[in-house]
Amino acid sequence: MLPGIQSLGPCEWEVPLGYVPGMRVPGVFYLSPRLAGTLEEGAVRQLANVATMPGIVKRSLAMPDIHWGYGFPIGGVAAFAFEGGVISPGGVGFDINCGVRLLSTPLEEKDIINRRELAERLYREIPTGVGGKSSLRLSGKDLDSVLVEGASWAVRQGFGRAEDTEFCEEGGCMEGADPAAVSEKARARGIPQSGTLGSGNHFLEVQVVREIYDQAAASAFGLVPGQVCIMIHCGSRGLGHQVCTDHLRVLEAATKRYGISLPDRQLACAPLDSPEGRAYFGAMAASANYAWANRQVIMHRTRKVMEDLYRVPQKEMRLVYDVAHNVAKTEDHLVDGKRLRVCVHRKGATRAFGPGSPGIPAPYSHVGQPVIIPGSMGTPSFVLHGTGTAMEKTFGSTCHGAGRVMSRTQAKRRITGREIRESLGKAGIVVRAPSDAALADEAPDVYKPSAEVVRVVHEVGLSRLVARLEPLAVIKG
Amino acid sequence: MSFEELEHTADARFRIRAASLGDLYSEAARALMDVMYGRPGEDGQEREIEVDAHDPESLVFAYLSEVLFISEVGGFVVSRADVAVSDTNAKGKLHGEPFSPEKHGGGRGVKGISFSGLSLRREDDSYTLDVIFDV
Repeated sequence: MLPGIQSLGPCEWEVPLGYVPGMRVPGVFYLSPRLAGTLEEGAVRQLANVATMPGIVKRSLAMPDIHWGYGFPIGGVAAFAFEGGVISPGGVGFDINCGVRLLSTPLEEKDIINRRELAERLYREIPTGVGGKSSLRLSGKDLDSVLVEGASWAVRQGFGRAEDTEFCEEGGCMEGADPAAVSEKARARGIPQSGTLGSGNHFLEVQVVREIYDQAAASAFGLVPGQVCIMIHCGSRGLGHQVCTDHLRVLEAATKRYGISLPDRQLACAPLDSPEGRAYFGAMAASANYAWANRQVIMHRTRKVMEDLYRVPQKEMRLVYDVAHNVAKTEDHLVDGKRLRVCVHRKGATRAFGPGSPGIPAPYSHVGQPVIIPGSMGTPSFVLHGTGTAMEKTFGSTCHGAGRVMSRTQAKRRITGREIRESLGKAGIVVRAPSDAALADEAPDVYKPSAEVVRVVHEVGLSRLVARLEPLAVIKG
Repeated sequence: MSFEELEHTADARFRIRAASLGDLYSEAARALMDVMYGRPGEDGQEREIEVDAHDPESLVFAYLSEVLFISEVGGFVVSRADVAVSDTNAKGKLHGEPFSPEKHGGGRGVKGISFSGLSLRREDDSYTLDVIFDV
């Protein structure tokens, strides 16, 4: 382990006060000995930097997929008290409400005989990659409705079923959205990209449930071994990116005005009850709603393809759940025995509310919310459930993915996109992407092993394993 | 005048060097295009650009954010920039060509310009900019 870090127990580490000047609370992160070698000093410093921010409650946290980001580390979680606390775009990220949803089908692996055709159809129906344009023609007024209503807007337009929204965090619509705080520039980026997947690590995968670890939880979530599911991973596209950029500029100037001193300008923030803080929250919530509408539209198109190719009625393809892993939310948590309203920032971290927590769909309430952890390309993804331990230790949070370990430059030197396509093909996985170059950046071994990351959160109890899914076909942006 | 990609685990980190601020701004735009489209564009068309900020580093942030916006929304692949740069204002033209999927596909979308790790230094007769593009 890196110098200056203390062990708190198996897989639990403390970054003590004083690691960087001005820390108000200690930092805590979760990592197994096997993953310790992947820890970057820069990521630990970012975790410590977050601990210097006004109003931070208890501790600055990071999940086992911790890595060097900007502002907060990726995998970072921090809660700020409404009294004296702040909100920061650096604790949410550029891709506001980047998230994952899982759609179940009644199909089995053997039913997916024409994988290449399936991948081709999905690729054609769902615009991907840089410059991918939506076939939706949103007016400015439509966009306002998207920003306020989220997934419900999409359902109202015929993209999906009424019950879908119940199976999204926040019902697919965050309260407090303020379209007036979303700039013309953000709107201009958002309008042509609605219903598009984007690029980078975003994907749509056809997967099979390969293993069930928790029978009772899997039954509640409607998952059975051998079942074909579809996972969609994307966010708020250029609209959310521009909201982050715009408000970062405003907050960067406001930080000084409020007398807040920070070790990193990307942590620019303002008091939660200030005009600048409220404007960012309203724009962020609007972007989160855009992302939910986006995933809803993509899921609907996916259902249509599956209906066309395999004659599966749409109502038999159920949304298991939709999680947000880049967002700040108003939540009540027990802190030292008292209920406290806080603004929880999760940047590359997933909410993992335990059994009986508010805001979980009734059929899942006894189990805890589903936690969906996407694998990197070609590697397994996992479904877990939230726990009481997460409520006690991490403001109800867990990891969000595998976490990168290798830079783009290193990745490109090591392996070509074509080699990746061929090796996945040998494993029976069909990949469809705009170009081979885009694949090289996302080679499976540029990420930490996802199985090890989820093993850590499972063992610490921040969430518990329910099922492992393996890819059959991958659509990459 | 040059740009070089440095190691960064998650994002695209660049070091850009030039003899003048104007050249530095041009080269920084080319680095951004290199990520978004696999290569910068070619001359042919022009777009106006002007940004203001309260200090030189915020100005670079505002300028590159504007280049990203013009490129993404307008489908414009920048070849170079011809801008006059002061401490708080940058104004001029972007040269480039329209985006075509055959020529410029296969890049990686840039979400935004990061303030983390952003540094602008003047050493004798040259300027050096370190910047991270969030991908």
